[in-house]
Amino acid sequence: MMLKITRRGSISRSFSALITSIFLLLAFLAGSALFLYAGVNPVEAYYAVVQSFVNPLLLAESITRGIPIMLVSLGLAIAFRMNFWNIGGEGQLYMGMFAATGVVLWNLETHVIPDLLLLPVMFLASFVVAGLWGVIAAVLRAKLEINEVLTTIMLNYIAILFVDYLVYGPWKDPHGYGFPLTKPFPPSALLPSIPGTHVNMGLAIGIIAAFLVHVLLSRSKIGFEIRVTGDSFSAARYAGISYFKIATTVMMISAGLAGLAGLTIVSGIIGRLRPRASPGYGYTGIIVAWISGLNPWLIIPVSILFGGLLVAGDTLQSAMRLPFAITQVFQALILIFVIMSEFLKKYRIQIGGVKI
Amino acid sequence: MSFDVIAFITSLLVSTVQAGTIYLLATVGEIYAERSGVINLGLEGMIIMGALTSFIVSFYTGDYLLAVLLAVLAGLLMSLLHAFISISLKVNQYVSGIALTILGLGLSGFLGRPLTGMTVEKVHEIPIPVLSDIPVVGPAFFKQNVFVYVSYVVAILGWYVLFKTRIGLNIRSVGENPSMADSLGVNVTLVRYGATLFGGALAGLAGAYFFIGYQPFWVEGMTAGRGWISIALVIFAAWSPLRAIAGAYLFGGVEALQFRMQAFGYGTATPQFMLMLPYALTIAVLIMLSHHSIRKRIGVPAALGIPYSREE
Repeated sequence: MMLKITRRGSISRSFSALITSIFLLLAFLAGSALFLYAGVNPVEAYYAVVQSFVNPLLLAESITRGIPIMLVSLGLAIAFRMNFWNIGGEGQLYMGMFAATGVVLWNLETHVIPDLLLLPVMFLASFVVAGLWGVIAAVLRAKLEINEVLTTIMLNYIAILFVDYLVYGPWKDPHGYGFPLTKPFPPSALLPSIPGTHVNMGLAIGIIAAFLVHVLLSRSKIGFEIRVTGDSFSAARYAGISYFKIATTVMMISAGLAGLAGLTIVSGIIGRLRPRASPGYGYTGIIVAWISGLNPWLIIPVSILFGGLLVAGDTLQSAMRLPFAITQVFQALILIFVIMSEFLKKYRIQIGGVKI
Repeated sequence: MSFDVIAFITSLLVSTVQAGTIYLLATVGEIYAERSGVINLGLEGMIIMGALTSFIVSFYTGDYLLAVLLAVLAGLLMSLLHAFISISLKVNQYVSGIALTILGLGLSGFLGRPLTGMTVEKVHEIPIPVLSDIPVVGPAFFKQNVFVYVSYVVAILGWYVLFKTRIGLNIRSVGENPSMADSLGVNVTLVRYGATLFGGALAGLAGAYFFIGYQPFWVEGMTAGRGWISIALVIFAAWSPLRAIAGAYLFGGVEALQFRMQAFGYGTATPQFMLMLPYALTIAVLIMLSHHSIRKRIGVPAALGIPYSREE
């Protein structure tokens, strides 16, 4: 049997959508095997997934959980566009939670920042602290040629343990009955809801961020430099683009956005800091950025979709006692099947006489 | 304080080798994949799937050989997927690897949940006569279980095959200059598949050792970054299986020290800083090596991470 792969010409939008839908269906079919293994009727399980988008209360929850994914993913898209493999969204997000919480706890003692300014200060702090955390990897890459995948991953573990240390140690609420939790945030430190909804203002931050990322990538000089560097390292050098400058700028923004994602978790979802406050939003962000084709506008709906998967995971956990890790499996399956569908859009496969 | 220094050093060295064996097996496998031009970031996921598989099989059947074989098979299957996506479909290798790590961590968390808290008996040590009687070094290197001995063979034979045989030459040439290798009649795709699968098999074996040979208590996400550290160790080893031995025992030593210091009461109040040690050390090692590698560039396969397509 002969397998022949040839490049396709351009394909129609509807054909492309058809291929993607078929592969998403296949991903969910593969997921059914897991449900059957766990003794759960897949139809019932997928009903929970559908409910995350149909039931108004759960939809609000899906959007809320989608907000941090959105912000991390937007940041990662910028870095990926310049071929900088920032796998550190998770750690940068924890540094954002650390900074935002630090501001709140400090202000609870000192009352220096007036209520109205508290959120803006937290916003700034989480962006800057997380951004600088991300810049470490950029400097090491630009100055010493150290692979950024490894540094950003290691910095994730360190950031998560650092937050563990704070919450189990100096930041533990003395009136918290020994639980590893900080004091609850005062109302002035919580993200307000968008009027008439159960969704917090983080959604507005996410949409504005998508707009800014779009402008940055496609209409600015930095965006041009990012794209040139991403396409060819040597062309960028030839064009006189400083890798150090562009890498540190990109990582400041990329990690800064992950920091804002952290802010939306502590101020929008939990209302305080606790250990392991993120169920891997930083890793989900990688998947979302990639299957959105690094397109900032597409990242918004895809993030909400993945937020809905997390909500469904909660439902399945409480109603059917399925381990929450199943959401992680689904995320990976979706990514793997979407990667395969992208291939089919670019290439024609011929096996024997059958053409696909 | 009366304190037996020799006994302390011996026990430290014993645990160094035990902890280092996971790194050694995984790193040698990754060296093979990378030497052929394929970077496998799915290592973490493959190790933990190997660990879980060995746990499930040994728990239900009590057959340790079967447990190891199926753990290796799990690593093989996952690396086959990675090879297919990155070699045949020519999709970005980083994305494929990360997807597999997330898949492995998720799948092991899902399948392992019902078995949380269960345990199996650890594989016994087999002292090698005469050699294991040497003070200090003997117990550390020659009074271990069979996995540890296999890891010596893997590293030494792995080095020999890679640098002294035709197969090794093919692997290296495919990673260095695939179009040249292709024109000389080497099947680039086949060699890359082979090297990637070998890496996956060793990752599965590392996982099996981790569980049934080292720490037979299931904890979700128990690999805790060891796969990622193994990928960093490839750089430390300058893509040579023999040098991987030093890197593996360096990190094994850190792990052994962590346990000892906790036993002495250090860091019991704030264990987090102690736990950060391997990750911080990884970054430190990468920084220390960077000057060296910039000047000399030993080992880095020139075509690492680049899919090969014959120009037609």
